[in-house]
This record gives sequence, structure tokens and C-alpha cells, in this order.
Amino acid sequence: MSIEKFMRNAVTGWMASHGEHSDIVMSTRIRLARNLTGYHFPIVFTEKEAMAIDRAVSGVLLDSGQNGYSYLKMSDMPVLERQVFVEKHLISPQLTEPDRHGAVILSEDEMVSVMVNEEDHIRIQCIYPGLQFEEAYKQANLVDDYLEKSLPYAFDEDFGYLTSCPSNTGTGMRASVMMHLPALAITKQIDRIIPAISRLGMVVRGSYGEGSEASGNVFQVSNQTTLGKTEKEILVDLGNITARLIGHERKSREVLLAKSRIVLENRIFRSLGTIVYARLLPSGEAARCLSDVRLGIDLGIIKDIDMSILNELMIFMQPGFLQQFAGTELSEEERDIFRAKLFRERLDVETASSSTEKETEE
Amino acid sequence: MNCENCNKQPATVIITQESVGETAERHLCEKCAFQTQTFHFDLNQEPLSIQQFLSHWFGGADPFFTQQQTRENPLQGPECPSCGLTFQKFLDIGKFGCAACYEAFRDKLPHVLRKLHNGHSIHVGKIPVSFNELYAVKKKIEEIRIKMKDAVEAERFEEAAALRDEVNILKQSIAHGGEESHVD
Repeated sequence: MSIEKFMRNAVTGWMASHGEHSDIVMSTRIRLARNLTGYHFPIVFTEKEAMAIDRAVSGVLLDSGQNGYSYLKMSDMPVLERQVFVEKHLISPQLTEPDRHGAVILSEDEMVSVMVNEEDHIRIQCIYPGLQFEEAYKQANLVDDYLEKSLPYAFDEDFGYLTSCPSNTGTGMRASVMMHLPALAITKQIDRIIPAISRLGMVVRGSYGEGSEASGNVFQVSNQTTLGKTEKEILVDLGNITARLIGHERKSREVLLAKSRIVLENRIFRSLGTIVYARLLPSGEAARCLSDVRLGIDLGIIKDIDMSILNELMIFMQPGFLQQFAGTELSEEERDIFRAKLFRERLDVETASSSTEKETEE
Repeated sequence: MNCENCNKQPATVIITQESVGETAERHLCEKCAFQTQTFHFDLNQEPLSIQQFLSHWFGGADPFFTQQQTRENPLQGPECPSCGLTFQKFLDIGKFGCAACYEAFRDKLPHVLRKLHNGHSIHVGKIPVSFNELYAVKKKIEEIRIKMKDAVEAERFEEAAALRDEVNILKQSIAHGGEESHVD
């Protein structure tokens, strides 16, 4: 398969670089956790219960005729394909655990995904490009309303939506933004900001959630609490934090540019050189270089590369995608070779004018 | 109020200890609260997971109480009638087994939830439409009952009888929904 075709098939709705502040905010995600009454939660439920929940939820959504939903059962999907779904943030790794009988119902544009039998019976997830809290919540809320019309939700007057984990009880909502904060990272300010934000009931972590490292200076900021505040209040608070982080990041970029332009340019162009010419590209190095190049594009230092390429490459550089692109399982070194090849070809496709790359290729 | 243990730091953690027929509360500073609990850190699991958090803050045995507890009250607290989860087990694993657990542990939950949600334990967000309707009917029944009582007291028995019929119809209409809102 040609790289262009592969990419075209693999790009998903939220990877487009539009939406507000899309140079800094890569995507906005809303997740609602819901459970049905009358069935145990997935942590202890029987296979029979799992099947009944699966039928009920998928039945409602597939019959709706909305959003071009398709249904995918985890046990029917090849391992590699499941990994690709995880890397695209369409499903969580937990959904793939075999005793959960997990499934996902995915909208045609892949911006709505409803996970069945993850930690909770239902996890509604909407991912939008850029900073779009309101739009993403509106969409998630619509899906929630639609499901609720036909399914008996577990809800309590005092505790709200009842979830398997007490950290989701109440609204069951986790709202998050994926932010690229290279200047805050370079200037080490992020180390002071993270603990400060956590005191406000918000969490900052790496892009793949709990415990993951911030690879490529991409940070996920989300609400930590789900009780005592309405959905709207949570979104407003998170929006304020996000706005302040954007402001800080922009200011730090200006300062970096004013005070050490040549050092910054050196770093950015070296990284560009690496991703354009490298023959072995380990994932850590790839993420770091992509972050630098992206910063270079944002600051107008690099001019002939489109920003959305970087959103895509950030996702496609991961093991699942690489192996799917290769069409076979790859060892770690083979992956590094393939990653370098993917980057060269992708950047070459885009900057077709630069003939230098072709000359180096035998 | 200062920590009961070291009497130096302000007490920010309340640990509730259960024994037969009585509960004791201990007010401790964060440092002492951690130290009084047996506690092994899995270095691979940082940051603190929700399970660790719950079991360390609420579940861990206190040396002063352990003996007494294991002897007199091995079950330690309520048990969910639907899935069999005990409150102690809930603290250990950090997960509910089903929606009925919330009902079974209702009295103890606000304390746990407040720690996780910045001092909050009451939901103020979205309410499902169906639940809203049920709630509205329940409220209406209450209103009619009050009217009915007034009617009886004023010896307007015909009116009271009509109101009673009205209540019965409303009760029937929510009978299905009412059952569904409880697990098993």
C-alpha cells in the first residue's frame, strides 16, 4: 500500500489541525461513564450479563440510523488492529481485556466512539480537533440522551450517575485537552505548573492517560473531580485553565525567540534534519524531534511543512501503526527502521519540491 | 485542631475505625496518617493509583485497632446484597461491583467521596430525563397526600376518596420505573 493511501485511510477526524488554538491544543475529548441498572458492573459480571448489555446498547445505537455507526467486537478484531485503535485514542487498552467481552460502536467520522463493557457498561467518548469543549460536550450529551431514552441508567439522587470507580461517580464526565507545550517544557516551567494545577482539581499527565509520560511535550489536562460541580462548571473551569496554559505557552515562545533565537533555530533545524534523513528513528527521539519541528512551524521558522502532518506522524509513529503499515510484526529495531522510512516518505510527499531527499535514496 | 499523634501538624485526615457497635474517629496529619498504615509502595505503579489511595487512606489497618477488629468483627462493615462486595473489599480494590453497592454503603460513602472530589459528595449535574419524570411524579404524590390529609381533617371525605384514587393511579404509573431503579 502506498503511504498516501495508508495515511488517507488511517487519518481520523480529530487529527485535522483545525478548531481554535489548534497550534497548541491538538484535540478536545469528552468521556461520559454510564451503567445500566439490573446488571453487575464489568468487574464482576457474568458472560451472560455482558452479552445482554452488549445487545441492548448496540441495538439502540445501530437502530438509530445516526452517525453511520458501525459495531466492532474486540474478540473479532486482530490484535494489531486493536492496538491501532488504542493508538488513535478510539478505545482504551482496558476494553481489549478478553474477559470483558468489550465492543466499540464507532461513528463514521470516528469522532464518536461508544465503548461497551469497559470499566463501566457504557463509555461515550467524543474527540474533536483543537479546543472545542462545547461542541464535544454537546455531541456526547446527545448520544447520552439518545441512549437514556431506551436504557435504564443507574442513577442516584445524591450520588448522580453510578460508576464502577468512585472517582467517576456523579457526572461520570472526564473532559480533557491534549496540549503541545514545548516552550513551557524547554523553560522547565511545566514542572512548577503541574502541581499548581492539581491543587485546582485538575490533572496534567502524558498523552496516553494515567502513568504515561509526556512524549513529545504533549500533555493531557483533565478534570479530576466529578461531584459537586455541574458539567458546565467543570468545562468552564477546565476552559479557564486551558486558556491560561495557552497564554503562558505563547508568552514563553516569545521570550525564547527574543532571547535565544539562534539556539532555538539550531535545535529546530537539527530536529528537522533528523526526521527527514534518519535511517533509524527510535520513538523517543522521533517524538522529541516532531515536537521541535512543530514548534518551528508554529513560529514561522519552518515554512513548507503542513502542521497536520505532525499530528498524524505523532500517532503513526507508534508500534501498532508501524506494523500495520508494514503488514507484518516487527522487532524493535525493524520498527525504528520503518519509522524512519515512514517519516522520510511522508515528509517527501509533502515537500515534493525538495529533490535532495530523492537523491539520497538509492 | 492538631494531629492526635504528633500534635505538631494540623489534622487534615480523618480515619474512621470500625469495631462492634461503635466507630472511632482519629484526626491525623497527612504524615502520621501514612505512617500508621502498613504500606508498601510498588515503584512501578506511581503515581498513586485509586486503589492504593483508597486502601491507604481508608482501608489500612491501624495497629491500635487491628487486633480488636479481627477478633470481634471479621466482616468489617456492610456487605452488598447484590454482588457480595464488602465495604472493606471495596476500599481494597477501589471499585464498586454493582449499582446496589452504593445503596449498601450509602452511610459510609460521603466520607470516601469527599476525599476524592475536593470535599464534595453530592451530585449537582445532569439528571436523566426519565429520572426527572419519576421524581416529579413522586413529588406530586406527596402534594396530593397533604391535600388528602387536610380533606380528612376537614371531614370532606368525598374529596379525600377522590384524592386517594388519584394517588393510587400515580403509584401504579411509576411501579415499573420504581422497580427498575433498584438493582435486583
